[in-house]
Amino acid sequence: MSILEVSNIQKSFDSETILKGISFSMEEGESVSIIGSSGSGKTTLLRCLNFLETPDEGTISVRGEQIFDAHGPVLKPEEIRKRRLHFGMVFQQFNLFPQYTALENVMLAPKITTDSPDISQIEKNGKELLDQMGLSDRMNNYPHQLSGGQQQRVAIARALALKPDILCFDEPTSALDPELTGEVLKVIRGLAEQKTTMIIVTHEMTFARDVSDKVIFMDGGVIVEQGESHAVIDDPKEERTRQFLASYSGV
Amino acid sequence: MFLTVTLSLLEGFLGTIKLFALTLLFSLPLGLILSFGSMEKLGVIKYPIRFLIWVIRGTPLMLQLLIIYYGPGIFFGVNVWGGSANGRFAAALVAFVINYSCYFSEIFRGGIQSIPVGQYEAGQVLGMTKRQIFFKVVLLQVIKRIVPPMSNEIITLVKDTSLARVIAVYEIIWNGQAFIKSSGIIWPLFYTGAFYLIFSGLLTLLFGYIEKKLSYFR
Repeated sequence: MSILEVSNIQKSFDSETILKGISFSMEEGESVSIIGSSGSGKTTLLRCLNFLETPDEGTISVRGEQIFDAHGPVLKPEEIRKRRLHFGMVFQQFNLFPQYTALENVMLAPKITTDSPDISQIEKNGKELLDQMGLSDRMNNYPHQLSGGQQQRVAIARALALKPDILCFDEPTSALDPELTGEVLKVIRGLAEQKTTMIIVTHEMTFARDVSDKVIFMDGGVIVEQGESHAVIDDPKEERTRQFLASYSGV
Repeated sequence: MFLTVTLSLLEGFLGTIKLFALTLLFSLPLGLILSFGSMEKLGVIKYPIRFLIWVIRGTPLMLQLLIIYYGPGIFFGVNVWGGSANGRFAAALVAFVINYSCYFSEIFRGGIQSIPVGQYEAGQVLGMTKRQIFFKVVLLQVIKRIVPPMSNEIITLVKDTSLARVIAVYEIIWNGQAFIKSSGIIWPLFYTGAFYLIFSGLLTLLFGYIEKKLSYFR
């Protein structure tokens, strides 16, 4: 059974249609990269999965259980909170909470969203995650004392702390300079090697090809091409994909 | 003479501080509620509140004091405040609370709206409730941002309390002025300035301390 099954997702803002019927599925342990130019709908798709936007049409299922149906009853906030936890989200702008240390950022949600939290267990888990991100010596630093790359790694640990089924990355390195991009990509590569199920919206083509199992190319709100990552990036079938990738080859 | 004047002014200043403290006590929470109302999507809630804020901020506090004190008697024929000093104080308090709630609500609104939407979204995707996001994520950041405009407004309040004089509320200026009639001296009135200065000096120190306390994050 697929871990994620997305079917015919459509989304419009005012009169502009951003997603025109997106369908794809992925298996547990797979990492999927979504590529495409700005405005192609990649970010909106991730936001739909995380219940930050409500699709006008379509369904989303996780492990065979339908968690969203555009024609289903309107979900209560409580229900949305429960269902969105199937997904983790890492934002382009990190969005760490500035008044909390790295460790507190990672611990906050598990601490306040569980009924009788086991604080010492949450703390242990938080420390392990930050350790895994290579931040053992930064746990007690506040976000403004960290570099962009370190902040993004804290954000990844924060998302992992809730043990999501699928971790989503929305252009995780777009706000970073090239030097810091490397350290974040290295962490994501490590997660891929551990078979973390991930969807990564990215402009890093080499990374998408080498790290992810599958690549989806989106343009104008539709999936133009999808398939095994080397096949899509090295040998695209569609003319539009070729054009898009050509604009990267010179860089 | 100096001692007599000082003691009398101190007594008056107690009235000033009482009005100041009670105004803050009521107008801070009321201002927060008004700020939520003014950010409400529903027009039925938002527009009346914005109208109220416009009226209150657009007219002099002195006029509001007079209307609240004399208004009920003139328009409805009921003197709700009674004739006592306590009644006049209550009327002044109501006017100050309404006036300052409106100013505070705009400061709160500015602070709340300055928090990036990414902070809310990060809380949402982590499964937090709206309430948790407000209290655990947003509130402290709002407080940090509004300390400077709040300290401005609160220091203004210290001096605005002297307006309560127009409906004969006993405060420090009232006591200072009394010496003109009783003893034919004007310096006690000028001397009141020292009390205001010292008190606002203390408040400045307090706000400086709070600002410093909150400087651990950005």
